[in-house]
Amino acid sequence: MSQTIFELKSVYKIVLQDISLKINHNERVMIFGPSGSGKSTLLHLFNRLEDPEQGEIMFRGEPIETYRIPELRKNIGLVLQQPYLFPDTVLDNLKYGPNLFEDWKEEEVQTLLNYVNLPIDYLDKDVDDLSGGEKQRVSLARTLANKPEILLLDEPTSALDDQNIESIEQDLLNLIQSKQLTVVMVTHNLEQAKRLGNKGVYLEGGRIVEQGSLPDMIDHPKTEALKRFTTNY
Amino acid sequence: MERDVSNFSLLVLIVFVMVPFTISYFYQLGLKKDIMWSSIRGALQLFLIGLILTYLFNLRPIVGIPIMLSVMITIATFHARNKGKELPNVFITILTGLIVIEIFVLALWLGFDMVSFTPEEVIPMSGMVIGNSMVAMGLSLERMKSEFGTNQGKILAALSLGATPRQASHITVKRTLNAALIPNIDQLKTIGLVQLPGMMTGLILGGIEPIVAIKYQLVISISIFSSVSISAIIVSLVMYRFFFNQNMQLVDLEQLQK
Ligand SMILES: Nc1ncnc2c1ncn2[C@@H]1O[C@H](COP(=O)(O)OP(=O)(O)O)[C@@H](O)[C@H]1O
Ligand SMILES: [Mg+2]
Repeated sequence: MSQTIFELKSVYKIVLQDISLKINHNERVMIFGPSGSGKSTLLHLFNRLEDPEQGEIMFRGEPIETYRIPELRKNIGLVLQQPYLFPDTVLDNLKYGPNLFEDWKEEEVQTLLNYVNLPIDYLDKDVDDLSGGEKQRVSLARTLANKPEILLLDEPTSALDDQNIESIEQDLLNLIQSKQLTVVMVTHNLEQAKRLGNKGVYLEGGRIVEQGSLPDMIDHPKTEALKRFTTNY
Repeated sequence: MERDVSNFSLLVLIVFVMVPFTISYFYQLGLKKDIMWSSIRGALQLFLIGLILTYLFNLRPIVGIPIMLSVMITIATFHARNKGKELPNVFITILTGLIVIEIFVLALWLGFDMVSFTPEEVIPMSGMVIGNSMVAMGLSLERMKSEFGTNQGKILAALSLGATPRQASHITVKRTLNAALIPNIDQLKTIGLVQLPGMMTGLILGGIEPIVAIKYQLVISISIFSSVSISAIIVSLVMYRFFFNQNMQLVDLEQLQK
């Protein structure tokens, strides 16, 4: 079952340099590294929100350009680093993606809210009245509403408190297991990377400095750069 | 000529130009160079155009009118295009838009015999239509750029969920259109009440019966209203595309400017 989902062949984009990387089915890849190292840029490439300046991205064995973009993006769900919500209510946001493809089902709302630990009476709340953490959770639920097979998460819990992080991580893990999702996640939290990931990619200055299996890679870094990063952490 | 405006009076108008200039100076608004330059340039242009018009008005209408209209549309296009230089295809869109609008109003005026095909009537009336359309397109374009700037994150989020550029910029386009149309509609509502419109004023000053002047003013006001609306619609419904590339990605405006 280790079918290759993504394969990046010497990709260059803004800061990213010579990125070669394989991501297999049902892998949970954690990307970490200093800020400005190109983590968000890398994540955008998988969803085709941006394209490489050089190099090639294969998706399920075909060049990523061969897929129809709206369907590709629906299927490869991205949660942006900033939770940019649409007007007006939480419900409007959850419906947005499915409505684009005319497959919104009202009864799924409860499951979506459960994933992100929000009570049902939040549905009619104006998004402007939400806290940073709540926005982040709505943003995650909005992407999950599209039922993606591959999930790209850009620091999805950075604005949450420990209690919510724990609960959402648990729900995410359940979801990933039950739906056999493939996950690529950017996190600044190395403990979280160890809890959620089975593969790690360490980026620095736009290059992959080290990659390996988790939690081993963080506990026993091979390169000086990653050693420095984990000890300063 | 029974009436004339003395050169001295024209000089007095400079006082009016100086008012915003002075306010701007005290509040450091940074408009001053622009205002001075615009008024000097405006005055020179008017005198120069007076000379050219005298010559062109003496040509046969079928020759003179198209020449004058082409020149006006070209200048207007260059001017409006400045507000969105960094975007692709802006020039050709504005040019096409202005030509379509001009043909549309000409057909209306001549078809229903509201205006005769003489430079004295067609040129000033077209000038008002083209001028207002140009300003409307420039403003819509500016507004659209700022809406795209403030809503960039939401547009990215929409795209990432599978929205097409059209779907992703729906709110942005709607807001641009509203912003461009509201002042236009307001102006139509108060026409003749708050401001005596330019054409009517001109005709009455020139000694035409007020009732005739009002009829002309109606023709021009409604023509301007329609043209400005069409301009805003063209910018909003066509130009949003220029903010995206073939691959449904938001183009980096700062990158384009370089
Ligand atoms: N569109 C862009 N144009 C120019 N520079 C960019 C653009 N997007 C990102 N960058 C720069 O690329 C670098 C990496 O950005 P990013 O991928 O967001 O890093 P990270 O997520 O690791 O913090 C940053 O220095 C950022 O300023
Ligand atoms: Mg980032």
